[in-house]
Amino acid sequence: MSIIKLLTSSVGRKILMAITGLLLAFFMAFHLFGNLFLFVGEDAFNAYVEKLHQLGFLIRIAEFFLVLFVGSHAYSGTLLWIKNRKAKKVVSSYSKVNTSSAARSAAFTGSIVFIFLATHWSTFWYKFNFDLQGMSYYYVVTESSVGFGSPAVSIFYIIAIALLGYHLKHGITSAGQTLGIVGTKYEKIYNNLSAIFWFWIPLGFILIPVWFGFLVRVI
Amino acid sequence: MNVNLKIWRQGSDSDKGILKTYRLENIDPNISFLEMLDILNIKLVKEKKDPVTFDHDCREGICGSCGFMINGRPHGPQKATTVCQLHMRAFNNEDDILLEPFRAESFPVIKDLSVDRKSFDRIISSGGYVSTNTGEAPEANSISIEKEYADEAFLSSACIGCGACVAACKNSSAMLFTSAKVSHLSLLPQGQKEGKDRVAKMVATMDEEGFGSCTNTGACSAECPKEIGQINIARLNQEYILSSLSGFLKKKNE
Repeated sequence: MSIIKLLTSSVGRKILMAITGLLLAFFMAFHLFGNLFLFVGEDAFNAYVEKLHQLGFLIRIAEFFLVLFVGSHAYSGTLLWIKNRKAKKVVSSYSKVNTSSAARSAAFTGSIVFIFLATHWSTFWYKFNFDLQGMSYYYVVTESSVGFGSPAVSIFYIIAIALLGYHLKHGITSAGQTLGIVGTKYEKIYNNLSAIFWFWIPLGFILIPVWFGFLVRVI
Repeated sequence: MNVNLKIWRQGSDSDKGILKTYRLENIDPNISFLEMLDILNIKLVKEKKDPVTFDHDCREGICGSCGFMINGRPHGPQKATTVCQLHMRAFNNEDDILLEPFRAESFPVIKDLSVDRKSFDRIISSGGYVSTNTGEAPEANSISIEKEYADEAFLSSACIGCGACVAACKNSSAMLFTSAKVSHLSLLPQGQKEGKDRVAKMVATMDEEGFGSCTNTGACSAECPKEIGQINIARLNQEYILSSLSGFLKKKNE
């Protein structure tokens, strides 16, 4: 089988989605590790971001791959979605729902996450890299109008991350199925670990706007 | 018992179908669903009306001919039951029952509730076979197969190819069907001769036939009259990954 044939077949596209999806989920863990410095304190967070900046070239390579993964994941997903819509005969009828809503809404939640990522890059990423205007990184996140200083940003962030968790709830089990992990001796450990990625890591992200956007102002 | 049937009537795939209502009275609750349709058709013929076309053959739940949507579910409300094995006692007196054909672009409507499932045959003929020598039947015990593999292969081979999985799927994907056929043969020593080419060919045909892709929602297994499990799809994926890897390795060696 040639590589083009593999990547353009329906199963091949799904394998690509599963691999890029899992890599992005791993990246989320790394991203959260950095974010948690916000709770350590202003200096710790600023120092951490500064450290990342000093890596310079390496960070740009990593960013290139992240965009590549997001792009190919979304591209394959969209092509499959179109194919699936074509395969379905649309008639005025009804059928009983017998699957999980996380599975059925994966394309929708994925689209929302994509919009979130676009705003995420155009605000935090852009500010951090090119438009600090003398603010500290900590201030941009916790106080500025593109950060959790704005309740609208905080609410959108919370909703988007919750949907991302919901997306991963289906995505991670689905990737296990697509990569053939289901049915092997690794199935159990894979399923046990999946909750870290679809529940605990998104929860960690959500804690940040909940604390800095709302609770810290009330207490 | 009395039932109100709403049946999808459609002359051919290019026609626009409509739902027509029929009422049947004094039906014995212990007759099968297809016998109830026979009664309806006898009535329609007597009235010089066009009888309802539906597929059926063995009426024992093993041939895979029958199958349509009953109240939005392939093969009706009873779990692990084909339409022919469904009885009127599964419904209540004065129930409204909606009958539609399996809906998928790859299953063109022949007439009414009967759909053309030749796309399944083409998936099978592209790889769902084994190569054997002609001549005398081989000694039955000459190939020993471990019990767990034999059992798993048997469960996969239970697929009757009725198409309920495609009808149940929101993407009209044929993955459960294809994966059951791939699993069945790849689990047994007799299926090894075609090796990993089988899965590549069958997936390629499945894509060409216009079926959707699997998004792992599991609707197919929930509605399958033979309870073919999701594990088959995982096995197909494993086979597919191994097939592409072995394809790359072969190319390198050449």
